[in-house]
Amino acid sequence: MSRVRLGNIVDIADGQARGFDPGCTGQDSLFVVRKGGMVYAYSDVCPHYGSTSLPWKRHQYLDAACKYIVCAAHGALFDIENGLCIQGACEGQSLAKIEVEVNACNDMWVDLRIIEEFKS
Amino acid sequence: MNIIGPDKLIFAVDDVTACKQFALDYGLTQLDDVNFVALDGTGIEIHSKDNASLPEALSTGSMLRKTLYGVADNATVDAIKAELSKDREVKTLDDGSIETMDDMGFVLGFQVTIRQALDLPAETINAPGAPPQRGVNETGVSKEFVAKPRSLSHVVYFVPDAVKAEAFFAERLGFVTTDRFKHMGPFMRPAGTNDHHTLFFLNTPPHMQGVEHFTFHMSGPTEVAQAGNALVEKGYQSFWGPGRHIFGSNWFWYFKSPFGCNVEYDADMDLHDDQWVAREAMPGADNSQVFLLHYEEKWAPGGPPPSKAS
Ligand code: FES
Repeated sequence: MSRVRLGNIVDIADGQARGFDPGCTGQDSLFVVRKGGMVYAYSDVCPHYGSTSLPWKRHQYLDAACKYIVCAAHGALFDIENGLCIQGACEGQSLAKIEVEVNACNDMWVDLRIIEEFKS
Repeated sequence: MNIIGPDKLIFAVDDVTACKQFALDYGLTQLDDVNFVALDGTGIEIHSKDNASLPEALSTGSMLRKTLYGVADNATVDAIKAELSKDREVKTLDDGSIETMDDMGFVLGFQVTIRQALDLPAETINAPGAPPQRGVNETGVSKEFVAKPRSLSHVVYFVPDAVKAEAFFAERLGFVTTDRFKHMGPFMRPAGTNDHHTLFFLNTPPHMQGVEHFTFHMSGPTEVAQAGNALVEKGYQSFWGPGRHIFGSNWFWYFKSPFGCNVEYDADMDLHDDQWVAREAMPGADNSQVFLLHYEEKWAPGGPPPSKAS
């Protein structure tokens, strides 16, 4: 089974983010941000350093106003909609986007084969 | 210039509640609404990013507004004012400290140090061939022990021109370069301390200018590990460590933080005087740590007893 259910959109409050560890590695490998009716998912790796995950605590991916995604290592800010770093260490670079399929019941699904690609 | 080291780092942060909780969980003591201090009184101030009474923020988004240095006496404050007034504005604030800007655009303050002398034992070890440091029946660790940061140790800046930054601190403030990563930046100590470094610069593009990390000294490697372990157990995420650096020899463990920079625990820093000749190395994993460990969840050896049949 390469498709993994990440839960339902309602599990994430609007304007909040959540990390997931679908490969059961002990560390979240992707995160989902909910904004309005949309969800955006990214690989949990900061483009500044190849292997640094973003949050200072689990699920802490956003700034206080829930306006930007933040990397807590050096404070880089990323656009929620497209993952582009707009301020900080990796300005101009982007988070790796992960496709999330949302079905009619608002369940979120990702394809684990896509996540594998981001590991190389 | 008898500058001793950083007394205080003043931050204006995005998430005040998270930063204050981090400071407490890190082990600092809350003095008042904004001050969080180590055992010797050095520490950090945490303000909201919209606090208009603070020096302006850098355009890069760095949350550090000011580095306040502690110096030996009023004569040193006056000497720094006389030196820096030659080519820049130096304000005297109501509390008697002075405030100015370095050649990179970081705001600096200088005051007679608030650092109190500590009289505390370091972590002790027993080793064959050496006199025991802990006596018979004295235990070395306990699960209940709460690690306490002792003193603000150093701050590391991303700067667009590490050569220029080094020249300012060396020529205008009397800092000494103790070691250097080629093409990256120098480790520096002020004249009033023998600590290997209270300052380290990393050369970066201008849009990165800010703080890479800051750290407090702990009593020894066990305290670094125990304090770091406690942070992990509270849910904070490790960035690098635990391990031991080569330049400075200090044990380290870095954590990501809501301050927009990493926050480290360190212990057992080398001391140097003016006889020391600065070393140079290429930056990279081989030259930055003598070893690097990785945190794993606790485990216990053993297992169920063997079955009777075997
Ligand atoms: S590792 Fe993310 S900003 Fe540096």
